[in-house]
Amino acid sequence: MITEPLGRELAELASLLRRSTVEVRTRGTGAGSGIIWNDTGLIVTNAHVARSEHATIVLSDGRAFDGVVTAHDPRRDLATIAIDTSGASLPAATIGHPTDLRAGDVVVALGHPLGIAGALAFGVVHVVETRRGAPRWIRADIRLAPGNSGGPLADARGRVIGVNTLIAGGLGVAVPTTTVLRFLGDVETGRARSGYRAA
Amino acid sequence: MAGPSTSGGVLESLSNDLAGAVERAGQSVVAIHARRRIPASGIHWRPGIIVAAHHTIQREEEITASLADGSTVAATLVGRDPTTDLAVLKVGEAKVPVASFAEDSGVRVGALVLALGRPGSAVTASLGVISTVGGEWRTWHGGSIDRFVRLDVSIYDGFSGGPLIDASGRVLGLNTSGLSRGAALAIPVPTVNRVVDQLVKSGRVSRGYLGLGMQAVRLPAALVERLAMPNDIGLMVVSAEPGGPADGAGILIGDVLIALGDKPVVDPGEVLSFLGGDQIGKTVTARIIRAGEPKTIPITIGERPQQSRGSRRGR
Repeated sequence: MITEPLGRELAELASLLRRSTVEVRTRGTGAGSGIIWNDTGLIVTNAHVARSEHATIVLSDGRAFDGVVTAHDPRRDLATIAIDTSGASLPAATIGHPTDLRAGDVVVALGHPLGIAGALAFGVVHVVETRRGAPRWIRADIRLAPGNSGGPLADARGRVIGVNTLIAGGLGVAVPTTTVLRFLGDVETGRARSGYRAA
Repeated sequence: MAGPSTSGGVLESLSNDLAGAVERAGQSVVAIHARRRIPASGIHWRPGIIVAAHHTIQREEEITASLADGSTVAATLVGRDPTTDLAVLKVGEAKVPVASFAEDSGVRVGALVLALGRPGSAVTASLGVISTVGGEWRTWHGGSIDRFVRLDVSIYDGFSGGPLIDASGRVLGLNTSGLSRGAALAIPVPTVNRVVDQLVKSGRVSRGYLGLGMQAVRLPAALVERLAMPNDIGLMVVSAEPGGPADGAGILIGDVLIALGDKPVVDPGEVLSFLGGDQIGKTVTARIIRAGEPKTIPITIGERPQQSRGSRRGR
């Protein structure tokens, strides 16, 4: 029977991802999700989730931090939020390789759909849309809801391969982590807008 | 980047198996450009023969097919059978493999399946299970399908005309959302083979035709007793195609059909079942009730006119 280890591995995967998924609360809008990108307090989420200068970041263990939106790119729909952990180390996500993805690959999403904390969704890659050979969107046959935005889409080993961003035609659409890395590179070199701008 | 991940276990094996099945089976999935906007899916069923869903083929000329190897070839419509929602196209050269088929025993409730499509250049996949398997059934338009296979699979662009595959990439059927009010169904391989045979042979699947619209009605007990009918249901004629076989024979709106030949009819589906292609040209005695009196009217069965274009909605 494969179902028993399958269930156990899915549960492990869920708890692994849940630790590096945060809730992002901003004033006026509903809560979204975010990914702990490194252990010093960098949170990656969607630009449409980080819609004000400040956000409250709630970890899966209940700890809450004040966050400052440090970069905001509406075009890629990505944003970064910095939190001051006072030296405490955070459980960062493992980043995977969306370039290796194939249609049919198992994917899971973690987030806060409709305010339900730490919910897991299971599905498969529907298609990886590419532009000039590079992944542009990951479309997944997976059931997402508002509140999943900004949260991780991960492969069967729990490596984050995308940021869940929208639902189109019933499909979950994620920004690949390759795009996130490019965005973070642009932030570092000053090519991306730093800080929050009203969009 | 640093951070934990789970070790490769059954979940990763499952992922690799599914992606491998999609990759293999996807070789025989084609995109068919025969409508505006999004292309439809089709399956390279036999060498040079592509099967698609009838309702997605919205033009009959200038059809092209994009293959898994990236090439685009011209395709000609061989024929279509609206009653089973199937269409067959021919391509000159297709350097991609034909589909490999699963045993029919693979069609069972709970089986893990993937629905593939190619609504563009890339193959798409959705995961689900077979949710119902029933016996032979008849579609709204009178087509006969060997087994009723309903799927718990989400329907996205490119669903119709794509293959339903098992976890090892073998084809269990052709998917369509055009036969049952948008529900995800699969047409089993034997049915597709039968329709392909007929379409390749004659370009159409001919069916008998009376030109009647009917509705089941309950008859008064006194009448049922007087006529010694085996049941109290008849089919009231609610429309008769002008110039159609039944109209020409003298059937009127309001007549109640109770039997064709010796066979009582209590459901319009029974009339459709009776009207197989082999009945065309034969004369059948229709037993009807008109104004409370029994009557027999001979009707020469005609051929159902061909519906030329895909018109029903569906993806």
